[in-house]
Amino acid sequence: MSRSTTGAFVFVILTVALSAAVTPRSFAQGAWPMADTYRNADADAANWVLPARSYSGNRYVADAQITPDNVGTLKKAWSASIDARGPLETSPIVWNGTMYVTSSHNDVYALDAATGAQKWHFHDNPHVIAFSANRGVALANGKVYEATLDGRLIALDATTGKPVWNVVAAHDTTNTFYTMQPVPYKNMLLLGASNGDWGGIGYISAFDQATGKRLWDWYTVPGPGEPGHTSWSGDSWKRGGGAIWSGVAIDPATNTLYVDAGNPQPDFLGTIRKGANLYTNSMIALDIGGAKPKMKWYRQFIPHDTHDWDPAMPPVLFTGTVGGTPRKLVAAGDKGGNFFVLDAGTGAVVYHVAVSTQKGQNTEPSRKGNIACPNTNGGVEFNGSSYLKETNAFYVPSVDQCGRWTSPGTATYVSGQFYLGGAFPSIVGPSTGYMQALDIGTGKFLWRKHLAFPQIGGALSLGSGVVFTGGVNGDFAAYDAKSGNVLWHYATGMTIQAPPTTYTAGGKEYVVVAAGPAGVNFADPRMGQGAPTLEGRYKHPTRAAITAFVLP
Amino acid sequence: MRTLAVRTLTFAALAALLAPSTARAAASDHADALGALGDVRAAVGEIVRIEDGYAVGHAAYVRAAHRAMNALVGRRDDGYARGYGDPGDGVGTLGHLDRMLDQRASFAWTPAIEGAKANVLAAAEDVQRALGEREMEAYQADLTQALANLALVVGRSSQEGVLGGVSGALGTTALGVPPGATSVAGCVPPAHAPAYGIVAGRLAYVALPRRVASDAIPEELSISRVVVRGDDVVLYTAAARNRALCGTKTAAVAKRVAGVSALRPVRVRGEVHHTRLVVAAASATVPMIPYTAAQAHAGKTVYVKSCLQCHGADLQGSAGPAVAGKDFLENAQRNKWHLSDLRTTVFTNMPFSNPGSLKPGEYADVMAFLLASNCYPAGSEPFPTADKPAFAKIAIVPQKNAKPSDAKLGTCTVK
Repeated sequence: MSRSTTGAFVFVILTVALSAAVTPRSFAQGAWPMADTYRNADADAANWVLPARSYSGNRYVADAQITPDNVGTLKKAWSASIDARGPLETSPIVWNGTMYVTSSHNDVYALDAATGAQKWHFHDNPHVIAFSANRGVALANGKVYEATLDGRLIALDATTGKPVWNVVAAHDTTNTFYTMQPVPYKNMLLLGASNGDWGGIGYISAFDQATGKRLWDWYTVPGPGEPGHTSWSGDSWKRGGGAIWSGVAIDPATNTLYVDAGNPQPDFLGTIRKGANLYTNSMIALDIGGAKPKMKWYRQFIPHDTHDWDPAMPPVLFTGTVGGTPRKLVAAGDKGGNFFVLDAGTGAVVYHVAVSTQKGQNTEPSRKGNIACPNTNGGVEFNGSSYLKETNAFYVPSVDQCGRWTSPGTATYVSGQFYLGGAFPSIVGPSTGYMQALDIGTGKFLWRKHLAFPQIGGALSLGSGVVFTGGVNGDFAAYDAKSGNVLWHYATGMTIQAPPTTYTAGGKEYVVVAAGPAGVNFADPRMGQGAPTLEGRYKHPTRAAITAFVLP
Repeated sequence: MRTLAVRTLTFAALAALLAPSTARAAASDHADALGALGDVRAAVGEIVRIEDGYAVGHAAYVRAAHRAMNALVGRRDDGYARGYGDPGDGVGTLGHLDRMLDQRASFAWTPAIEGAKANVLAAAEDVQRALGEREMEAYQADLTQALANLALVVGRSSQEGVLGGVSGALGTTALGVPPGATSVAGCVPPAHAPAYGIVAGRLAYVALPRRVASDAIPEELSISRVVVRGDDVVLYTAAARNRALCGTKTAAVAKRVAGVSALRPVRVRGEVHHTRLVVAAASATVPMIPYTAAQAHAGKTVYVKSCLQCHGADLQGSAGPAVAGKDFLENAQRNKWHLSDLRTTVFTNMPFSNPGSLKPGEYADVMAFLLASNCYPAGSEPFPTADKPAFAKIAIVPQKNAKPSDAKLGTCTVK
C-alpha cells in the first residue's frame, strides 16, 4: 500500500465522520421539506413546496422582485420539453434549485430550476380510461409522489427518479383514475379520486407517506343510514359521482381540510336521482385531526346539478376585509360560472357573484335539447384563482361558452364508459373568456376584461401588484392588479391550462408556466394545430414545454 | 282472484304486521309490473287497430302512433303528445318500469325488467320513426318493428331472466306475489294455501285451495307441474324446474340466474355491495358487423380531421384513450363492451370538445374506420346511421382470423 492510497483512505474516513456529524443539522435546515416547511411555505420566497404554494391554496407571494414597473422587461430564461401526448396541467414543485413536473401520461421530470436542464426523467405508460391529465407531484421525505391514470400511487427517489414503491390506490380501477396532485400533510398524503363521470362514488383518501398504506377514505356520497343519504332517490347514490378532482386547502391550526366534491351522476339526467344529491357540487370542511375525518360543515353550490358544473376551482383560504372588518374566508368557483366567498368557520355565504354568462340553468337537459350557459367546460376551471391581500381583491380567470344539452331520458351503466344519461354539450356561439378582479370589501368587480379565448390557466398574484395568468391561445400575461391593464405578455404557441408558479434561483425570481396540446376539453379550431397524416410521416402537431421567465 | 279476496285480506293484515316495509315495496312493484303490461297492451291495441282497419288519410295513422307512444312513455315524459288521448293508465310502460328499477335493492326480477325497459325504448324509437315517415309502407315497417319489440317487453311467463320480459318476471320471480299474499319458503310444500313459494327471490310455486275457480290462478303464471295435496293444489312454475334451486348448490344459483352475468362487487366503505349487470343473452351465431371498405376509407379522413388530435396517429391515444388494437380490445373485453356501447360513445359524446357536431354519415364512416382498424372484416352492407337492437348483443372482441398490420399494437392499417 503506497503512501498516497493510505492518505486517501484516511481522508474518506474523515469525510464520512464529518458528514455524520453535520447530518442532523443540515437535515434540520432542510435536506427535504418538513412539517414546518409546509406550514410556513408562504414565507419562503425561494421554494414552492405545495400545489398552490401554501396550505391556504392561495397562489400568492408577498415578497416579489417582479413589480408593475419592471415586469415589462421579463424575458424567457429557459424552456424544457415534456412528453406532448396530452395537455399539461402540472403545477411545479420547486425545492432547493430542483423543479419537479409531470406530463399528462404520468412521466415525471426533475429539472434544474435555474437552467431547465433535466436531472432525471421517470417514464410511465398507464392505460387511459377517458383522457390524460396530471396536476403534479408531492415532495416529502426525499420522495416524489405521483398518482396515476391507472389508479396507482407511486413513490420515486427524489434524487434519482427510481421507483421506491408503487401501490394500487384506487378502489375500482375500471372507472377511477387520478389527476390530482397529492398533498403532504403530517404523515399523510391526501388524494382525491377522479371518477365523477364513469359510475363511481367520489372519495378522498389519506395514505401513509412512508409505505403508501391507506389510512382512511372519506366518501362524498353518504351511504344508507348516514346523514344526507335521503337526498338520493332509490339506489341512485351507488353510482352518484361527486369526484374529487382538484386541490384542497388546509387550516393546520384547526386541522380543517376544505375540499370540493364534483357533480352527481348520471351527469345530465336528474330524473333517476331525485333530490339534492349531497354532497355533490359542495365544499366540505372536514376535521382531519383524528383517525377518521369528521364533517364540520358543507355548503352545496348547485343542488341536483344536471349540467356537470363541478366546483372545479381549488378552495382558497384567506383573511379578507369585508365591510372594513377582517374575516377568515374560503373561496370557491364552479364550472357553472359561480364564484362564492364563504365564512371559513361556518360555510355561510358571504358573496355569490356570477363570473361567466349564466342562462337556462334551471332546465334539465331534454330529449329535444336545450341551451344553457356556461358550457360544461365553462365558468371557473381547475387551476383556480388568487387573492391579493394588498388590493383585498380576488383574481378570477373564467371561461365564457354556452352549450346545448340533450338527454334521452335514460342512463345505462357500462363499465369503463361515461355514465352520463345524455351527451356532453356541444358549444353554441362564441368561446371566450374573462379575467376579472373581485373586490372582497364590496363583492363588486374592481375590473373585468373580456378576452377572445377561454381562461383556464389559474392565477398567481404578487404582493407588488402583478397578477399572472394564461389562456387557451397560449398567451401568458401579467396584469396590473389595480387597473387590469396588461403589463407584459408572451405567446407560448401552445395551450396554457396549467397554473403559474414563482421561486428564486441564484437570487433571481423566476415565473414558470407549463403549456402543451389543447387536449380533449379545449381543442379550439382557431388554434390551427396543423394537419397531420396517418402515414408514418406524422409528428405530434403540438409540443409541450415548461417555460421559465426572469428579469434581465 | 275474486275467490281468494277474503282470505288474502286476512293474510294481508298478517303480512303487514310481520314485515310492513317489505310488503309495501313488493306490493307496488307487483302493481307496476301489471300496469306496465296493461300499457304495453294498450299500445299494441292502437297499432293493431289501425293496421287492421281501413282508415283513410294521414291523420288517423299519426293519431294511432301518438296514442301508442303515450301509452308507452307516460304523461310525465317529453315524448307524450297531449291532445291525442292515452289508451293506457297515464303512467306509461316506461314510468312503471322506471319506478320498479329506481330503488336501492336489486331483485331476481331486475334483469328481466331492465331488459323490458330496453325493449320499450327500442319500440318507442320505432314509433317515433313511424311518425316521421312519408310512405305508408315505411310507416307499417316501423310499427311492425315496434310490435316485435313490444312482444319482447311482454315476454313469456315460462321464461326466466332477460328473455322473459315482464310476464317472465311475474311468472317466475317474487314479483308475481300479489299485495298482501303469503310468501313461504319455496323448497318445501306449503302448510297452508293460498301461499306463494319463494326461493332466492324466485317463484317456485303457487299453492291454492282445490275448490277455487280457475280465474284465481295468476294470469302470468306458467305451470310446469301440478301436484294435488289433500285440499290444496300446488302449481309449480317454470323456475321450479331448476333442480339446483332447492339442492345443495342453492348459493350458487343466485349467481346463475339467467341474464345476470355476474354479481359485480362495488366496494363502499369496506362493505361489498352487489350490483347486477345485465347482458343480453348470448346469441348462437355472432352476427357480422356491417361496414364497407369504402366507408372505412372515408372514415379515415374524418378520423384525421376530428379524432386524431386526442386519439393519436397510431390510434393508441394521446390526450384521449386508445381506440384500436391490443390495449383497446383488452379493455373492451375487461369491461364487456358491446357494439352499441361504442356506437353511443362515438355518436353522442364525440368529438369530446364538441359532441354531436359531425354528420350522421361521418359518424358511421368513423365507426367503419375504427372497426377496420381493429381488424374486423369489411362486407357489402354499410354501417348504419341509426342504432340497431342487435348491436347490444355484439361483444367487442379480438377477431379470430385477424392479421394485424402492426403486430405489436394489434391494429390493421386502413387503405
